This record gives sequence, C-alpha cells and structure tokens, in this order.
Amino acid sequence: MTEAIYPQCRIVTERLLDPETTEKILNLIVETGGVRRMVLNGPRLPAIVPYGPARGTENPHTLRRQIHIGEQEIQLEVHVGTILLELTSADVIPALKTASDKVFTNFTYRIQEGKYIKTDPSLVDYAKFGPDFDKDLLGLCDPKSKQGPIIIQGT
Amino acid sequence: MAYKPQYGPGTSIVAENRRKYMDPSHKLEKIRDVTDEDIVLILGHRAPGSAYPSAHPPLSEQQEPKCPIRKLVEPTEGAKHGDRVRYIQFTDSMYFAPGQPYLRSYAESYRYRGIDPGTLSGRQIVECRERDLEKYSVELVGTELFDPARTGVRGATVHGHSLRLAEDGMMFDMLQRCLLDKKTGMVNYVKNQIGEPLDRVVKVGKPMDEKWLKAHTTIFHSLGGVAFRDDEEYIEYVQRIHSLRTKYGFMPME
Repeated sequence: MTEAIYPQCRIVTERLLDPETTEKILNLIVETGGVRRMVLNGPRLPAIVPYGPARGTENPHTLRRQIHIGEQEIQLEVHVGTILLELTSADVIPALKTASDKVFTNFTYRIQEGKYIKTDPSLVDYAKFGPDFDKDLLGLCDPKSKQGPIIIQGT
Repeated sequence: MAYKPQYGPGTSIVAENRRKYMDPSHKLEKIRDVTDEDIVLILGHRAPGSAYPSAHPPLSEQQEPKCPIRKLVEPTEGAKHGDRVRYIQFTDSMYFAPGQPYLRSYAESYRYRGIDPGTLSGRQIVECRERDLEKYSVELVGTELFDPARTGVRGATVHGHSLRLAEDGMMFDMLQRCLLDKKTGMVNYVKNQIGEPLDRVVKVGKPMDEKWLKAHTTIFHSLGGVAFRDDEEYIEYVQRIHSLRTKYGFMPME
C-alpha cells in the first residue's frame, strides 16, 4: 500500500523567540489544527554547563522555562528560532500565516514549504532504532536523549 | 617623505571605521564608565583587591642575561612585576557589532604593547600580563569598540556571533552571562567570562541604538548594512592581494 506523503513547512523568524512568544504562536498553531508533527529548533540551553572551566555547575537561564501548550506543560530546552511542521494538508498554511501575523508584530518572519523533518529511516536510524521503529517519531527524537517526544492533544 | 600608514582600503563607512579603530592616533571615544573592579570581576582571574599572583620574580630582582634586545625594549608594567599571562575574549555579533574579530586583532596590535591576540571566526582572544590586561580591558569595554548587547566578554562557550538576535536585541549566550534589565535598560553581567556566578552584578551600560551601531560597525553586511561588493576600492584591493599571492606560488619573480 502506498503511504501518504504529508506536506511540511517551517516558520523562520527574524529574531530568536522568547518563551512567551513561543507559547503564543504554538497555542495558535494547536488551535488551528492540521499539524501532525512539530519540532522546535534552535540553539540549546542546557541546565548544567556542559564544557569549559565552569563544567558541571548549574546554568540558570531565563529563557529555559516551562511553557503551557494546549493542555501540556513543556520544558523548553532550546532558544526557539525555527518551527518545523508536518501538516495533514497544505490548506493549513494560510491559517498558519494568519496566526503568525498575529504574534510576530515586532519583526518579520517567513513560512517556507519544503521537506524539513525526516520521513524515511536512514541506515543510521535503522542501526540505532531497529526495524520496528515507529515512523511517526522519526526525525523528532534525538537518539542520545533520554527524554521522549511530547504529545500535545489538539482540540 | 615620511611613511604614513594607510591601515586599509575602502571608501565605505565600514572601511572608514576599520581605519579609525586601527589608527593609534585616533582616541577611542569613551562611551561608558567601567571601573577596574568591574573588569576584574568580569575577567574572573583574581579576586578584586587581591595581590597579583606572579609567574616569576620581578625583573629588577633578576639577573638578566646580556642581550641588546632587552636593553632596547622597555618591559611593560606586567612584565616588570612578573605577572601571570591571562586573557580576555570577545564574541562580536555579525549584526553590526562595532568590533569584529580580525579588526580587533589589528587594532590591538597597533595600540597595545606586549599582547598576543588570537583571531577565530566568531571570537577574538587577547593574552597578556595580568596588570596590562586589566588596563587594556577597561579601554576595550568602556569605549566605542564595545556594545553591551552585541558584544560579549566570553571566556568559554562563545557561540553567538552568527546567530539571530533575541527579541530584546541581545546576542545569544548559552550561559546568559549578561541580562538586559528591562526597567533600567541597562545590561548587567551576572556571571564572569567563563560562566561562574558573580557576587554582585556588573553594569556595562545601555545597548547602543541601531543607527549608532550601523555608523560604527566594522562588518560588511548585505542585509541592512553596507554590502561588501558596494565598496569597489576594497574589492579591487582584496582581488589584487589574492591575485599576487596566487601568482607568487608559480612565479616569485613577478
């Protein structure tokens, strides 16, 4: 049976997003519906300093905090710069644009269509996850991370 | 005719700024007040008020070998006292930060004595004797070569030069060494340059506005700034150097 191919897009903003802005845009995206999978990309904000002379000490960071999306609490691990989305259909894109227009008022943004999240396992994925790995999780999870993906229930 | 250094080519404002910062006869404009104690705290090499640890006895107490160069070159204060060699490292945002790594190394080499600058793509380090370092650092942080939001003093974990800015205009810093106080508009250092928390915050002033930054930057930037290809004289010079270097490999006599 041929598997469905879902369209993908990404929202790229001129500035890296504050947690409050991320919370606002993600809540609007969740309300919009039509999003199958999502990845928040950006430079990492670790809880513990990972290297350098201060290695191992606590790293308090105001941008690393919990945000509330839908009915789910999410711990932000990155300073969000790009939102990657896999959609059920390309018809959702105008709604995403409306949502973005509401939130990104102080700086510009772009919505680009393309392929940004992995849909087929590579050889490395096969070696790391085995033959029976759930394809929906492919490209969403860091194989080294102990934390799994977060499932947000849409409305 | 006496030799008059030209420092660099170019007709754009960026080229003009580069020449200005490199020229030791141009006095760097003082923008903010940063005390010696503030600098010692940010550097994090010694506790404020403590004595300078030494790497060797003072030169006056040493038997120096007979050497014409040593007679010729006056040692710096730090070298005289036998201070340790310590560093300050800067990360400059490519979004119109006033200093940029290569420019910093050139400017420091023209302006200061007894230094060892190191240039990398997104950061620049300068090493010298501790006493001299503190003197130079006050100037590097207090003058027009520094912007609190777009320049960071970062000894480790320097990532940020080529990243988009945060919504409040600050350059990304994984260790968040400095914070923008939204009430006062001041940038406060809460950690020293390697990311260890400070006992008190160190104020380094307000971020400069976009207009000032574009008038004082030393980076070409085609989005919003001066594009490199718009400065024809600069391109001509760089192409000439490139061509001569390439040819020299084949035909050294040309």
